[in-house]
Amino acid sequence: MSAYLVSVLTEGAIFGIMALGLNVIWGWSGDFDLAYYGYVAVGAYMTLVLTIGPPLSPAEYILGLQLAYPLAALLAVVSAMGVGLVVGLIALRHLRGIYFSIVTLGAVYVMYVIAGQFVPLFDGYNGLSGLFDPMGDWFGLDYQSYQYFFMGLSLVMFVLVLLFMWRISGSRFGMALRTLREDERAAAAFGRDIYRLKLKGYVLGAAVGGLAGALFAGYLSAFNPSAWSPVEVIVLYAAVLVGGRGNIAGVVVGVLIMGVLVQESTRFLPEVPGHPQIVLALRGVIIGLVLVVFLRFRPQGLLPERRRIDHHAAPDPTSEAA
Amino acid sequence: MHEALLTLGFGIVTASILALSAVAFTLEYAVTNVANVSHGEILTVGAYAAYVTHQRTGSPIAAAIAAAVAGGLIALLLHSAVIGPFIRRGATPTVVFIATLGSSFVIQNVLVIFFGAANVAYTIDPGAPQQLGPFLLSPLDLEIIASAVVITLVLFVIISRTKFGKALRAVSQNRELARVTGIDATRVAGATFFLAGVIAGYAGFVLAESVGSFNPYFGFGFFLITLTASVAGGLGRAVGTMVGAVMVGIILEFAGGYISASYNPAFAFAILAVVILIRPRGLFTSARRTVFE
Repeated sequence: MSAYLVSVLTEGAIFGIMALGLNVIWGWSGDFDLAYYGYVAVGAYMTLVLTIGPPLSPAEYILGLQLAYPLAALLAVVSAMGVGLVVGLIALRHLRGIYFSIVTLGAVYVMYVIAGQFVPLFDGYNGLSGLFDPMGDWFGLDYQSYQYFFMGLSLVMFVLVLLFMWRISGSRFGMALRTLREDERAAAAFGRDIYRLKLKGYVLGAAVGGLAGALFAGYLSAFNPSAWSPVEVIVLYAAVLVGGRGNIAGVVVGVLIMGVLVQESTRFLPEVPGHPQIVLALRGVIIGLVLVVFLRFRPQGLLPERRRIDHHAAPDPTSEAA
Repeated sequence: MHEALLTLGFGIVTASILALSAVAFTLEYAVTNVANVSHGEILTVGAYAAYVTHQRTGSPIAAAIAAAVAGGLIALLLHSAVIGPFIRRGATPTVVFIATLGSSFVIQNVLVIFFGAANVAYTIDPGAPQQLGPFLLSPLDLEIIASAVVITLVLFVIISRTKFGKALRAVSQNRELARVTGIDATRVAGATFFLAGVIAGYAGFVLAESVGSFNPYFGFGFFLITLTASVAGGLGRAVGTMVGAVMVGIILEFAGGYISASYNPAFAFAILAVVILIRPRGLFTSARRTVFE
């Protein structure tokens, strides 16, 4: 297996975890959350400050511990959940639709600006680095076999998240989240605590995002403000939308199409001398166009979410929802 | 005290540019009921058009006209290719919001392809600063303030006195009812977008001049501040938006002067979050009122 394929599979698995987390918030709960990539970033930053040890002057950042990678990843997930809880508590209380989106956009910009400008937190614009081959020396792996190991780890985590989401999808909780998306008032009339439910879904999404961030930090061994920006989330939205919002299998297809196909097909374009960003920019154009075209002509995605009908219940006159 | 007054002076310059951008955004919102996230890119396109024209002709007036025309055209394109079709199919505001976010991503990247992602330095000699009462403003600052005032006045005459303005108000209050009475809502909305684009394109030009440099992402950053001003003033309400813009512009200038300008977007959003949470309909609206009262 070539090194190239290994990197594609590792990145694809991490990207897939991100998309599955976003699917909880947008696919099931139905909220267009722009802060999502912030949770990925929190996961990545926290993993780094918990593993790379105390800062060497002139660098400065918080904590600077040397925990084992899995423990650091776990704490990173908890931190992402904490930040998600704070944003969710504020944004989900009364806001829906574009007002929710605007406030979450604000939240992620605040996170981005603070991460980039407030140096004592994560060393500002320089960011963090130095997490080399986490868990590698546990198994005495050399550089080459480590790449396979990390790919395996990412794929296993992806499959675990996938199985977990599969269970959630058919669970009472998953169904309840969907009822909120379809008709909040009806759900409230049936005694659902909307705010709590939405908040649970939101924090779950943030946790999955944080997990993806922890893996991303291990893969990149570094993280800084030029490695992420709030608009990164558009690619994830495109993936979820193209595959089929709300449908786990659809999300996986979307990840394959957007992540692998779009990212990788443009990789073979000839480099234009003097314009190193052209291929990246072209990718951006394709992603934006795909998003708009799918929203317009096939908003349900390639593999639409299947409507579940409860055959045991009495006929429901309100089942005709958008 | 003296320094505070100086800051206030600069705040008025920022506020003038912000007012232009915000009033254009609010016009777009009024006729479609949709927040156009690609609004910032109209400013960016205006800035690039001005820059290219200025280099070719050497005339700042030609640059200003080019910015306005390019802004109008790109806004018209956004309306006829993206926003209009979505609205005609009855898409929800959130769906159109996402679509405009996608469009904004496309425009940014197209600009990167043509012009590169690097900052472009664009400065016009602002002239020697002059003492005006307590303020210290350059002739360029004065031109920016004066043009903002003139454009706003002209806009209000158009909205309140012309037949087109009447149609615009009708569409913004009730699109369906306007159509029943024989107004071509799509055409009125398209024309409104062109008008808003002209204003926003010009705002992009003066913003670039006042900042001194720009890049393909520059409009998006300013859009975040525009959004704050518009929401604070009440989305879709022109007069409230103007007041919101002046307020936010001055607050940001003070925050930038006393804390750090690099926190400005975060600061703007803190204001925005507070406003949305406390008074989602804007600071100056007590109840449902019509759009341009």
